[in-house]
Amino acid sequence: MPIMTPGAFAYPGTSLDFRTGSWRTARPVYQVRPSPCHAACPAGENPRDYLARMAEANPRAAWETLVAFNPLPAITGRVCEHPCESACNRGQFDAAIAIHNVERWLGDEAVRAAWDYPLPAPAAEAPEVAVVGAGPAGLSCAYHLLRLGIRATVIDRLPEAGGTLRTALPCYRLPREVLDAEIGRLLAAGIPFVGRTRLGQHVSLAELSQDYAAVFLAPGRQQPRRWDVDGRTPKDLHPALTLLQDWVALDAVPAIHSALIVGGGNSAIDMARVLARTGAEVHLVTHDAMPGPGVSRDVAMKAAPRDIDQAIEEGVTIHVEHGIRRLILRGEKVVGVELVRLKKLLRGDGRYEVVPFEGTETVLHVDQVIPAVGQVVDADGMGSLLSENGFFAAGEDMRLPGRDAIYAGGDARERAWGTVSGAVGDGRKAALALHAHLSGRRYETGPAPRPMAIADLNLNYFERAPRAEETLLPPGLRQGCAEIAAGLSPEKVGAEAQRCFSCGDCLACDNCWTLCPDQAVLKSRAPLAEGARYHIDYDYCKGCGLCAHECPAGYIVMEAESRPAGRQQGP
Amino acid sequence: MPQALEGSQAIARAVALCQPQVVAAYPITPQTHIVEHIASLVADGRLRCELVSVESEFSAASVVLGAACAGSRAYTATASQGILLMSEVLFNISGLRVPLVMTCANRAVSAPLSIWNDQQDSMAVRDAGWIQLYCADNQEAVDTTIQAFRIAERCELPVMVCVDGFTLTHTLEPLELPSQDMVDGFLPPYRFVRALDPLAPISMGTLVGPEYFTEVRQMHHEALLAAEKEIVAAAADWSAACGRELAPLVRADGPPEARIGILTLGSVFGTLQDARERFADTPVRLLHLRSFRPFPVEALRAACQGLSELVVLERALAPGADGIVGTEVRSALMGIDGAPRVHNFAVGLGGRDVPLSIYPRLLAAIHEPHPRMGTIDIDPRYLPPKARATGETPP
Amino acid sequence: MTTETLHDLRGDQPRFQGLEAGHRACQGCGQALAARLTLEAAGPDVVLANATGCLEVFTTAWPDSAWRVPWLHSLFANAASVAAGMEAALKMQGRDVKVIALAGDGGTFDIGFQALSGMLERGHNVLFVCYDNEGYMNTGVQRSSSTPHAAATTTSPAGVARIGKRHLKKDILSIVAAHHIPYAATASVAYPTDLRKKVRRAIQVDGPSFLQVHAPCPLGWGHGGELSIEVARLAVQTGLFPLIELERDVLIGAMPIRRVRGIKDYLRPQGRFRHLFADDPRAREELAHLQALADHNIEVYGLRGDRPDTLDSEGADTVHRGGRHFA
Repeated sequence: MPIMTPGAFAYPGTSLDFRTGSWRTARPVYQVRPSPCHAACPAGENPRDYLARMAEANPRAAWETLVAFNPLPAITGRVCEHPCESACNRGQFDAAIAIHNVERWLGDEAVRAAWDYPLPAPAAEAPEVAVVGAGPAGLSCAYHLLRLGIRATVIDRLPEAGGTLRTALPCYRLPREVLDAEIGRLLAAGIPFVGRTRLGQHVSLAELSQDYAAVFLAPGRQQPRRWDVDGRTPKDLHPALTLLQDWVALDAVPAIHSALIVGGGNSAIDMARVLARTGAEVHLVTHDAMPGPGVSRDVAMKAAPRDIDQAIEEGVTIHVEHGIRRLILRGEKVVGVELVRLKKLLRGDGRYEVVPFEGTETVLHVDQVIPAVGQVVDADGMGSLLSENGFFAAGEDMRLPGRDAIYAGGDARERAWGTVSGAVGDGRKAALALHAHLSGRRYETGPAPRPMAIADLNLNYFERAPRAEETLLPPGLRQGCAEIAAGLSPEKVGAEAQRCFSCGDCLACDNCWTLCPDQAVLKSRAPLAEGARYHIDYDYCKGCGLCAHECPAGYIVMEAESRPAGRQQGP
Repeated sequence: MPQALEGSQAIARAVALCQPQVVAAYPITPQTHIVEHIASLVADGRLRCELVSVESEFSAASVVLGAACAGSRAYTATASQGILLMSEVLFNISGLRVPLVMTCANRAVSAPLSIWNDQQDSMAVRDAGWIQLYCADNQEAVDTTIQAFRIAERCELPVMVCVDGFTLTHTLEPLELPSQDMVDGFLPPYRFVRALDPLAPISMGTLVGPEYFTEVRQMHHEALLAAEKEIVAAAADWSAACGRELAPLVRADGPPEARIGILTLGSVFGTLQDARERFADTPVRLLHLRSFRPFPVEALRAACQGLSELVVLERALAPGADGIVGTEVRSALMGIDGAPRVHNFAVGLGGRDVPLSIYPRLLAAIHEPHPRMGTIDIDPRYLPPKARATGETPP
Repeated sequence: MTTETLHDLRGDQPRFQGLEAGHRACQGCGQALAARLTLEAAGPDVVLANATGCLEVFTTAWPDSAWRVPWLHSLFANAASVAAGMEAALKMQGRDVKVIALAGDGGTFDIGFQALSGMLERGHNVLFVCYDNEGYMNTGVQRSSSTPHAAATTTSPAGVARIGKRHLKKDILSIVAAHHIPYAATASVAYPTDLRKKVRRAIQVDGPSFLQVHAPCPLGWGHGGELSIEVARLAVQTGLFPLIELERDVLIGAMPIRRVRGIKDYLRPQGRFRHLFADDPRAREELAHLQALADHNIEVYGLRGDRPDTLDSEGADTVHRGGRHFA
């Protein structure tokens, strides 16, 4: 009961007795929404989150955020074709964040500073899973199992872990010391590795199934896919995979005067570059288009644009959207090919059809044709599990249909990403599914939510800033294992992190706090629950929506109020 | 030790003795001499005060309001149109319950334009919620000015000290100015408990809805009624300090056996005293209503004890109604045993001289069987012929 | 979060919150925001004189007050004079407390104009802040001398014979600056950092200073409350509300416009200009007129930025992680 004061003066701040929150018809809610970089990352990384920690000048927290999804950032930072950057909303504003270089720097820094992987020690009674294949999928699966409290032993036919990373990736893209350091640290974190163990020869699947609670198969694709033109193949045919493996292992490259590489993936580009370095005249032909803005992922070359660019710099001639009409043979030896222009066109059923155009044929004289048209799974020891087309028909949970405790992923899976980060992602999903399975729960994956579009952001609050570009070794100096891309300095990495729009998550920019006309947004010095920096006081929020409209990052959404009008409490 | 001072100068010196920190004023005849004197005191370093020479009376009142709320003793003076221009602020000051002192050098209100004295200006704002004290002479103006600050500050109400323009403000009279010590002993330093202060930040001038408005007004009303006690106390204390007899509410001058009384406000009181000496055959009690707001009902009744006829003279007109003061006096006396008949006249409007010869006409007027309000000093010769019949003619 | 911890959090905000929650401004009120931002920069050692208007009404419905600084509302026309009186008193008391007068455009451009001029002429150490929402919003959206040309209000409605307000917006800043005061500036709620910086500058001035803060009124302007900042920003980016600073009547700074927007971008979200988008030659003429006024401002104040600048119309509201602002 208010008692009248002389001249009706009032005491300070007493308006807090008047709860204007009852006026509201819609309430602002802080809601973390999926960023496009996250949605695009096959490994499941959320670059937005580690860029945030990096922007806060906390690289260790950034690395820990990163390795919560991907334990191999020094490697993927170098070799991934980074679809995150293609999806980055900043690309439509000025230029995408150089996410791969932030990732790479964090990976290197962790090695340099010897940061421990944040892994709990598994309980003595923890179940154990056998992982077949020590490539990125297998290592990722074992690591994530360990994170989930499940032990895993990794076996591989080779003496060292790494899989394709070790056998087929050129060292100028992935220096061996980087590979050795990161994988070495990962295994040392508590993953037993048993090398020189071939499935079907040294151990059988049945034995594994008996000795372990479950099995994850990640053998990769080790057999070159068969290739011919109208049923004909040259006699001296060497698939790119074999040549690359020889080059990596023995530093041996056949002396070739001129070659045509067939294919548009990373192996094709790597092969072309290795040959070009010997002074050979190298051509590459692919049905795919050159990647670029407006080019669908379905028709673009699978190789990373960065590597394509470097290949061209190094003298490789790329014939995109061309196919081989026929081989020109002298006896059984190739002397040239007849190329034809073609295009991948979308059919009514949603699939692409390769349509060659008559009258566009040309002849190219080369003395080697090297197919790099993909690989298939080496069926040894698990043939019965492969589907008709030679791959594992594992679903999104990586479980083999009809098999209770056998999971498979990585390149050996049907509809595989065919990339290192895709394999890392498969390993992680398998670990999650295995964890659910071993704890007797169902593994649920909902539909992928719509990532934040650029229209969901308020771009008024961002300033244009150039993307930090790393220096590249000039083509003339690219010899041996000299790493071509230099990476970024810590300062530039920090600056890149600052450029992040933080799509769908709090930028801690203070806008909502600064612009709320009703002082209904409160700022906290320490992060509140779920990391929020601000709290909406619904006792006073009138629901004007200004904070949501002015949030640069689209982190605030307006939800209709369902409650009846009247005084109400906060959540 | 009496000295001969012009009324304005005496008032200015009295104000200076009260040491206001802020004085704001806008020039208007006949107030100008007061402010000019204060300005020269400030210029000579005899008064340490911020003299704000504003661009209007509206701002003069606003400046002193702001100053008082910010914790300083403040003073202003005006007259006539100035009162009306600041009238919006006058209501505001009193409604906010802010202590201030203002001198009103009473003057007629235009139109027709007149710079000369009557009391239409202060009467026009009688309901503004201010204490209104009228001065019969310049000694009283000095004493009342000093008392006004104490009354205002104790009651948290503004006080308007009304002095007749020219008649008092521009007249030299012998009078006594108190010493600074005497004033300091009477008037404590300014302290306003609701002063605006970042350490205790209150909000003044709020919006008050119908659910609370009447209570605010009632409290204001009660505060004015209660101010009567402070007016009496201030007069008693000041009287004890200066040794002069002071009537706080109503001054009664005349024999107890007098059956006829004449009540007035302001300097006409002195004229009537002189006239009574000349026409001494009838015993007459002269009354000066010093406190018009609050209206001192009990004191008035006591002063009218034994009277059968009371003439109320006022220097303002409420066109289309009875006299302003007369109506209130009649209402105050109504219902008491042996209440006098009240005769009511306006006199001396717009500076018209009130001669001693008015006195016998007043005494004659009490024989009017049906007393009604009229202007007793009208000259019907100046009226257009049609209006002459309705004009009040001298008896 | 419990009410108690919320209460603690409210009491521990890392800024000075001179205007508290629980005031009764409309949703998205620009004036409420402008007032809080002003006090945030001015700090606790101030005394306020508030003219009659929305700000006064929505902050102090007795017994509640949203103010946490000493505050006095007297009348509509006298904020500058009351502030002058406060300043005179505080000066005599030797206290270092800044006096701020707050008024809407009615209390500044129109009814309070004389008192403002007097206060400026006498050189009082007062900051006068005008929250310019371009009309008498408290009384129901009537036109003031600050209402822009062609805007519809309840007393300048658009109809068959009229196209909204017939007269131009009064150039109050030039008039104020002509008093030769040390500092006069315009600011906008859309650029809070710039606004606070100008408040700090104005506070530091010893003598009269003046700020005209463009503060959208969703109700009076006819746009959603969520658009208040957007609309205010467009007013700057079109050139219709230049952000400038004057010292002793000399232009010392203007926020450059990096990307000049057409006035239609600003007018279209606002109901008060809806009639200008009718298929009507007079509407087209008024649009052209308003564009010419914007172009004129850009030319007179040299608003076109010649290179990107962190303090221009695009750069000045740039945010940074962790709330760092450079402007």
